[in-house]
Amino acid sequence: MYYSYEYVFALLGAASLAGLLGALLGVGGGIFIVPVMVLAFRLPVKIAVAASIVSVIATSNAGGSKYVDQRITNLRLGMFLEIATTIGALSGSILALYLSEWVMLMLFSGLLAYMGYTAFVTRRLDDARIASGAFAAARQDRLSAFLDISGDYYDQAAGRTVEYVVTGAPIGAAISYLAGMASGLLGVGGGVLKVSAMNQHMNVPMKAAVGTSKLMIGVTAAVSSILFFLAGLIHFYVVAPVAIGTTTGATIGTMIMNRLHSAYLKWLFAVLMAYLSYGMLAKALAIHFGLHLPVLV
Amino acid sequence: MIQEENVYVGVYKVLMAGMALSTLFFIVGVVLSLAHPAVVPLNRDWIRAHYHWSVVLSGFAHGDPASYMLTGTLLLILTPVMRVIVSIYAFFIDKDYKYVVVTSIVLLVMVLTVILARFGLT
Repeated sequence: MYYSYEYVFALLGAASLAGLLGALLGVGGGIFIVPVMVLAFRLPVKIAVAASIVSVIATSNAGGSKYVDQRITNLRLGMFLEIATTIGALSGSILALYLSEWVMLMLFSGLLAYMGYTAFVTRRLDDARIASGAFAAARQDRLSAFLDISGDYYDQAAGRTVEYVVTGAPIGAAISYLAGMASGLLGVGGGVLKVSAMNQHMNVPMKAAVGTSKLMIGVTAAVSSILFFLAGLIHFYVVAPVAIGTTTGATIGTMIMNRLHSAYLKWLFAVLMAYLSYGMLAKALAIHFGLHLPVLV
Repeated sequence: MIQEENVYVGVYKVLMAGMALSTLFFIVGVVLSLAHPAVVPLNRDWIRAHYHWSVVLSGFAHGDPASYMLTGTLLLILTPVMRVIVSIYAFFIDKDYKYVVVTSIVLLVMVLTVILARFGLT
């Protein structure tokens, strides 16, 4: 790799854009930056995944600290689920060491397609649950009761403090394990999976789930990073511009996000996911089968 | 009615410090690398050749970008580890022993990762 001005600034720019888009669309930057590094910068998949997972720590630090400061994060819930996500990350990153490039490309292509699809089907039902006080009235299972997790945060949009009782600890831990595994294997944060698990199965309001997920992502990504670092897969010349870029982009994105959530953004997201998914699939087929799909744009 | 206030404050401080320090090292590294654009190998052996204190320290002295970027990477990876350690301590101060155990398990997984990576897997 020739580390020229053009290369560094292109990488910085691409990473900033990935971080910005990630923050605007409510996902981490990893889902964009890995395909961009592979398809546009022609970096090996494992180098891209390893660099991405380190930059995921950076964005988690930046976003996570904000939610901790505002006391939206539920620390007990986060610490408990981190047991599952870190074990998942360990298994995922071990798998990444041994899988072939083309298999990882196929898996990533599948993840992108899935993310694009779910952008359409997710609906936010929080408002009704907040208004009826349903979050505070749930019954806990035995594990959740033992862990004694509940919480409250001030919701600016609803103009009131929202109290909630956490339930469904076993299913939440199981999904978190899978999210951790996806994170370690593919270099993404896995936040979307964790947030929907907490919101739909554990009775956690959306905002608290997002804040808690952001915090957990850092610890989860640290486990995969430790493994990749000791395996010699983390290339610091790639990590440095990518980490600076994603953090800057994510910070700007979070600031301008406010009320940008619209159907238009979901469309943009779905189209991007479909495009990148196709690109990763095409690369996998080209590497392994020598089969060349038509290149789009 | 926020409980575990100690934990919140500790976690916040660690996150902010880790972020600031690692970014600083990354910026210095990138700026130094731009002073002398060069071909950088992509293979594992080249990366691992930097994993010695003597190499990193002499790199600092000679303005080797790799040393600065490596340090930034390490600081970034260690931030969540520190966060976990600080949380264990803060839960302990609060006498919340159940969560001292929960958080210690997370730290244990991290230690297990290092052991697996050093002896056998990679």
